[in-house]
Amino acid sequence: MMRQTMRRRTQIATALSILAAGMMALVGPGMAAPAEKYLHVNVQDPTNDGSVNVNVPLSMAEKILPAINNHDLHEGRVSIHSAEMNGVDVRALLDAVRTAPDNEFVTVKDKDSDVRVAKANGNIIVHVIDKKNKQQTVDVTVPLKVVDALFSTAKNDELDVAAALRALSDAGDVLLVTVQGSTEKVRVWVDSRNTQD
Amino acid sequence: MIVVAKIALGMAGVAVAGAGVLCSEGVVHVKVVEKQPRGLHIHLIAPAMLAPIAVQLAPQRALSQAARQIQPNMPAIRAALEGLRDSGDLVLVDVKEPGQHVEVEKSGGSIVVDVDDASETVHVSAPIRAISSTVEQLAGRSKSL
Repeated sequence: MMRQTMRRRTQIATALSILAAGMMALVGPGMAAPAEKYLHVNVQDPTNDGSVNVNVPLSMAEKILPAINNHDLHEGRVSIHSAEMNGVDVRALLDAVRTAPDNEFVTVKDKDSDVRVAKANGNIIVHVIDKKNKQQTVDVTVPLKVVDALFSTAKNDELDVAAALRALSDAGDVLLVTVQGSTEKVRVWVDSRNTQD
Repeated sequence: MIVVAKIALGMAGVAVAGAGVLCSEGVVHVKVVEKQPRGLHIHLIAPAMLAPIAVQLAPQRALSQAARQIQPNMPAIRAALEGLRDSGDLVLVDVKEPGQHVEVEKSGGSIVVDVDDASETVHVSAPIRAISSTVEQLAGRSKSL
């Protein structure tokens, strides 16, 4: 009886071990180090047949930024002068945006420009049409996680750019900025490829 | 005869070992070609190990300004070089204009700069390790100023 129980326990333990090994094999590749992310900047000027491509590994930017101590940039944080905040409690504002459902928050239309600020799929989206500059359009998409990281410092008058970069690394591929001018087109995006092809 | 052969072999061994040590940090490659008849044509391949030694031996006044300017930026430069060392090969900057092309690339542990314009082509390739030790040497000179 005792021997039978022992044998049964051994069989169960073996089955569980095989199951665990199988699960590890399935999950293993997913647990590998995350792929390197690259920040890409692309400027196209078809009228002058010119282009500028910049590719920067985000991990490199994360290392460099805290090492720069210059004017308002210290240890990866940018100081914002209180006058520039105009008394706005940005944290409270962000908290309100974070908890709000997807929606268009701001729409401003005047003779010079149209501005739209919206929240959609975990991103804050800003769309600007500059009517003065021959219909130049600017689209900015920032994941809310990145915005949260930007304001994650203890101090109210600082933006944590280094933390935002780290959050950007963890976010998926994202097209951050598009500027479509009359002659130039600018794109800034993050993905896992080290080329722009 | 055998003694002479042994000496020759020993000298050849020393030369090969010396060359190996000199090139252990890789080589700096500079090529400048002016696009005009009888234009300048420079093709230089030098052991990268010589660069920090050259900075060490250069006269103080020749490097004082560069050393002073580089010193405050050393933390950022160190971080950038460390980041570059750790990253894979990639084109960092590529600028194209009519008649002009500039490319800065990380390739196989080296930084490669290629410039091609109407008047000349320039190719510079230097190992990151050598750049790092040269810059450290230069920054170190500012302390002795």
